[in-house]
Amino acid sequence: MENKNIIISILITAMLVGGAIFFVGRENNSDMNVNQGVLISGDNILIENGRQIIDIDVKGGYWPRKTVAKAGIPTIIRFKTSSTFDCSLSVRLPSEGIRKILPQTGSSDIDIGTSTAGQFFGTCGMGMYSFEIDFN
Amino acid sequence: MEDNQKIIEDNISKISIGMQKTFTFHISGMHCKSCELLSESELSELPEIISVKANMKTSKIEVIGGFQDENQESIAMRLTEVLKKHGYTISLEPIGRIENIWSDFKIALPIAFVIIASFFLLQKMGLVNLIYSGSTSYGTIFVVGIVASLSSCMAVVGGLVLSMSATFASSGNKMIPQTLFHVGRLISFFILGGLLGAIGSTLAINSTVSLILGFVVGIVMFILGLNLLGIFQWTKYITPSMPRFISKHAIGVSKLNHSLTPLFVGIVTFFLPCGFTQSMQIIALSTGSFFSGALTMLVFALGTLPVLALISFSSVGFKDKNKSRIFLKTAGLIVIAFAILNLLNALVASGFIRPIFNF
Repeated sequence: MENKNIIISILITAMLVGGAIFFVGRENNSDMNVNQGVLISGDNILIENGRQIIDIDVKGGYWPRKTVAKAGIPTIIRFKTSSTFDCSLSVRLPSEGIRKILPQTGSSDIDIGTSTAGQFFGTCGMGMYSFEIDFN
Repeated sequence: MEDNQKIIEDNISKISIGMQKTFTFHISGMHCKSCELLSESELSELPEIISVKANMKTSKIEVIGGFQDENQESIAMRLTEVLKKHGYTISLEPIGRIENIWSDFKIALPIAFVIIASFFLLQKMGLVNLIYSGSTSYGTIFVVGIVASLSSCMAVVGGLVLSMSATFASSGNKMIPQTLFHVGRLISFFILGGLLGAIGSTLAINSTVSLILGFVVGIVMFILGLNLLGIFQWTKYITPSMPRFISKHAIGVSKLNHSLTPLFVGIVTFFLPCGFTQSMQIIALSTGSFFSGALTMLVFALGTLPVLALISFSSVGFKDKNKSRIFLKTAGLIVIAFAILNLLNALVASGFIRPIFNF
């Protein structure tokens, strides 16, 4: 009896969860534009008018997780979100004392000034997701 | 006055049934301050008992009453019968606990490991990428709620729910506190979400506050988790609970503790550091109206309900004492793992340490 109840409640929950994700989640299946970890380090860096722009995709974490960049030039991190609802929306850059809430979909720049050589890391508000930039 | 008179008469009649004697028994299964009160009040209902004094520290219970010629062993059995539903056992000799604890862990450890591993696996699979929808309709918000309850919010809110429900389950009270928690959560999400919509940024969730809350919850969860394992006696004394003098005056035994605590915890979950909750709060903020803000947070809370309800009511099914002991140990291990994860995450987010886990 006991086991039966437990199994039934797990099944009901699984059905509710699965059903809802199936029906709502497929609304816009086509615009799957988040390239998880596909970016190769270095490809996400653009140098423009003597400024270094580092692109970071934000959804369920930060991609790429590790970037190798140049030290000694003014640097901007450009965060790109696309229907991002999770923790990674709230970015923290502990070494700069910066916290920023990103829009659900869009692009936002954070100016981190002229980078000095060394490792730089950012994390989400909960500390669950993080990314690293190696300046050298 | 009349009441006193009646009590005195009652006591006289009790004494006249048989000689009034004092017995000291061992009691096992007590895990919190309110257990003392619970067992005392249950036993004092018995007609032959005049007074009871339970002591959690020494695991002893002192009973004064008129038991006629009944021998100690049968008294212990009869008292156990009364307290069985709360999981306490009264015996002449202290019950050897150590050996059955290790056999419990043989089962609890693998189960806890599988559950924690599947949680990490779900994160690695990129569950959040299931949410594609560009517009934030209520349907999307509901799905965000479901995904939240299966991912990062599981570690914080789910861990808290599990530790709370397992703690209440072990003190015999199952359905009511859990239900109150969920009711408190739904109502507070509706009202606070509405306030966010109406008043706007004045109520915006301060990240320092949520970080501090994250620390506090991590520590509370860790203590509750240790307590559920039941190996360390000292954790009993640091379990957060209502002071005895308050709960004693409340209607019934620690009823207050059992109904207000879960309700309050339900409300607090609004402020816990869960990324999904926070991004929903931003949406609620941007709606600019009480009703839309309230509905946004309510729909999100409803999305998290199936999984959270499953976690909290998982403790109800165990009537078999062995199974429920294993359940409590498993819950304890999972809660401790989540507590450590939450504390580490809070340290990372505040910049004290470098990231350790990366999902």
